[in-house]
Amino acid sequence: MDAGIEDLLAAGHHARAFDLVVPAYKDRVFRLAWSILRDRAAAEDATQETLVRVWKALPGFDGRAALGTWIYAITRNTCLMELRRRRPTVSFDDPDSAEAQHAAASVATGPAEDPERDNLLRLVGQLPANQQEAVRLFYLEDRSYEIVSEQLGMPLGTVKNLLHRARKRLMELARPAEVKAA
Amino acid sequence: MNEMNVTSPCADYEHDLVELLEGSLAPEHARIVREHVDACARCRAWQREFATLDARLAVALPRPELSADFEQRLRDRLDGSTRNATTPAPDLRSAADREYQRLVDSIRRGARRHALLDAVASATVTGCVLAATHRLLAPLGGFVGTLEGPARWIMLGAFGSAVAVAALAWSARRGALTPRLLH
Repeated sequence: MDAGIEDLLAAGHHARAFDLVVPAYKDRVFRLAWSILRDRAAAEDATQETLVRVWKALPGFDGRAALGTWIYAITRNTCLMELRRRRPTVSFDDPDSAEAQHAAASVATGPAEDPERDNLLRLVGQLPANQQEAVRLFYLEDRSYEIVSEQLGMPLGTVKNLLHRARKRLMELARPAEVKAA
Repeated sequence: MNEMNVTSPCADYEHDLVELLEGSLAPEHARIVREHVDACARCRAWQREFATLDARLAVALPRPELSADFEQRLRDRLDGSTRNATTPAPDLRSAADREYQRLVDSIRRGARRHALLDAVASATVTGCVLAATHRLLAPLGGFVGTLEGPARWIMLGAFGSAVAVAALAWSARRGALTPRLLH
């Protein structure tokens, strides 16, 4: 798919290339934005903003990076700008902060019908922000390390380590108190 | 191989246990890890716990989707953006031009007014100088004192004219400088 898009770009057919970019990338851009922003409406806005930026910048795309790498970098920048715009002092890395607790709670959708699920989501919300992003993306992308690596702009090994640490931490958090003490 | 303590597996096998579950180990390596798991209750328990967490995460994490009208809204936004980008803003442009022209005109008008005032002032000063010189030179002797009637007036007139021309030249130069700076 990307090869076809890049051929069109090389031939100067930017509008036709963009017609292929949207269906190919909109969902992954949205999932990346959601994993960072943790809010569906904000992620959809960020996806719109990202694709508008891609459309404007497409004539200048020089092919030095892969198209996906380039689009995901724009997505991450768009989301970081949105996070800065919201509240520049909030740190989601502090699992005890009120914001982190709120963010964890806001992950759950719908009424609290499954306490076990809610508890697991609450534990995910206690992970550092980069581990949360990796975990959410990994399961949204059907457990593809390669796609997550491209989306987060990290080497494959780094993503594997990040996910390993995150899930190990979740196992520790999920254990009953008596097992932790043992 | 302690069955009670499942907080961590054997360190050498930790990553391999995950990759074994994911099916990403090379066949020969997978066989070795599987043999270890069969023999090690601690690694077996940890791997089971990991698999349970993995399955629960896959089900529990929300799977948000884009709105059905997402692409249409994007197209609408891009159409608006295209119109704004390709159509110049004639009203804004002409308003800026008009404002600039008004500024230039007002500066030129000011320069002309100053030049006129300077010329009037120069003529007045020249008149005063003429009258004062005529009175001051009268009691003096020498070349000036020897001049009488029209000759004295011609000399004084030439002196006054030189002063007036110098003043007008200075005034014109001042008036001409300001508009030139605008271009």
